[in-house]
Amino acid sequence: METVLDVVVAGLLLGGIFALISIGLSLQYGVARVLNVAHGEFIMIGAFVTWVLFEAGVNPLISLMIVGPGAFIIGFILYQAMFNYIRIKAPSLDAFEGNSILAAFGLLFVIQYIALIIWGSNIHGYTYLASPIHLGTVTVATNRLVTLGFTVVISVIFYIFLALTRLGKAIRAAAQDPATAGLMGVNIKRVLAICFGFGALMAGVAGVLLSMCYPINASMGLHYTIIAIVVVVLGGMGSIVGSFIGGFILGIVGSIVTYFDPGLSMVAYYLIFIILLLVRPKGIMGK
Amino acid sequence: MLEVNNLSTFYGNIQALWEVCLTVEEGEIVALIGANGAGKSTLLHTISGLIHPTSGSITFLGQRIDGLSSHTIVELGISHIPEGRRLFTDMSVRENMEMGAYPKRAWSQKDQTLEQIYQTFPILKERAGQLARTLSGGEQQMVAMGRGLMSRPKLCIIDEPSNGLAPRLVLEVFQIIESLREQGITIFLIEQNVRHTLEIADRAYVLENGRVTLDGTCKELLKSDHVRKAYLGL
Ligand SMILES: Nc1ncnc2c1ncn2[C@@H]1O[C@H](COP(=O)(O)OP(=O)(O)OP(=O)(O)O)[C@@H](O)[C@H]1O
Ligand SMILES: [Mg+2]
Repeated sequence: METVLDVVVAGLLLGGIFALISIGLSLQYGVARVLNVAHGEFIMIGAFVTWVLFEAGVNPLISLMIVGPGAFIIGFILYQAMFNYIRIKAPSLDAFEGNSILAAFGLLFVIQYIALIIWGSNIHGYTYLASPIHLGTVTVATNRLVTLGFTVVISVIFYIFLALTRLGKAIRAAAQDPATAGLMGVNIKRVLAICFGFGALMAGVAGVLLSMCYPINASMGLHYTIIAIVVVVLGGMGSIVGSFIGGFILGIVGSIVTYFDPGLSMVAYYLIFIILLLVRPKGIMGK
Repeated sequence: MLEVNNLSTFYGNIQALWEVCLTVEEGEIVALIGANGAGKSTLLHTISGLIHPTSGSITFLGQRIDGLSSHTIVELGISHIPEGRRLFTDMSVRENMEMGAYPKRAWSQKDQTLEQIYQTFPILKERAGQLARTLSGGEQQMVAMGRGLMSRPKLCIIDEPSNGLAPRLVLEVFQIIESLREQGITIFLIEQNVRHTLEIADRAYVLENGRVTLDGTCKELLKSDHVRKAYLGL
């Protein structure tokens, strides 16, 4: 019984991170139509910046406040400068999606190799808030709990932002029908760039949180990109709630499989992905 | 108010509009009629900036607007109510209406505007919380028209509002369009329902294969043999 609880709690802790990175990818893919395979590289950069700053004496929670806005700005500029150009040149939406995946692959390699040149391929890490907390019979490290708290709070705030604000509504409208949103007065180019920026922000923040809990290395990104893609499909394209729930489902699955054999977790994710594509390709919250 | 001059629009290599000229004066209801595929929607898309013309010009209130993007054109006071309604189906009726008030100037007065529009379209108030996707076709058309008014436009361009509606609703739509003129909104209307259209409009243009082939007051057009044969089935 205790092990079951341990496994579930570990799954929830992991699930929070999965949820956050998937909401980020969902914005980039579901709204801005860029299947950003370099998503994980933003996570990796967020993690490394936090580690470097930590070595220089900066508290990771301060780094969070730096990395988040920084990633947003980089994502925003990247969309305006690169993906928007590809979008305008593409004869159709399908062509744009194809071309933007290729561009994102380029981005993946560029970012990853720059990181390898700067930081090498070794594993790095630091200790922060590692003291254990006892929740009944379960013991967890404080940093994992902090991580879960941040992921849930950021997700909920973002959901409320989408539901209630002018810009949030414009994002939802642009996700459904960009041309008509334009007729309503929405500056589509800007809104899509903002979505891409928010996606990068969530990846960067996830990287900061991950670095507090796990060792990091320059080629860690792709692993998380794949998880995010699986969750986005699991949750339903462009559905924020779906990505949130899907993140936790995958976290718990990962935790259960890891309990038996850590090497099999990726296999399990792929299996879920394949079964899902066969049985319910539109995902849990898809229409 | 609106002047379209020698406008040509292409889809790739295919020319859809050929040197179209027309004008809409303030306070008028001007209609554009034509068969399927004549290029009516293409003309509206070009006016509202969804596509850009290859040559020619569009002037609105003395300002060139061809080349501007659609979000800027709405802000200048042109509202395009698109063919096929194009609602945001996963948003509530109220949220659809709010999207119509997206330009900053309109957003700040959206609650008052909404109350006014609810008077013209009482059904929208009843259905405010419902998802747009769950409405009937007639109700959806009302949302599309209401949403298009939320930006407080000076000129409304409306693409086939009566398409697919039952006869009673068709009449209602035409009554609403006439009432918009009374509220000071200029109308440029595309319709397949030629008989009703020529009854409420002041002037009309006939578009055939991307070219304006005929224009005049509705009285004149109702007497034209070509219009009677081709569009009224007489
Ligand atoms: N996106 C597009 N790409 C290529 N050709 C198009 C496109 N949209 C319209 N066309 C072509 O342009 C011509 C005019 O189409 P348009 O939609 O403007 O006609 P319409 O008069 O509005 O017709 P309807 O009454 O059926 O709505 C048609 O031959 C159509 O096939
Ligand atoms: Mg049409």
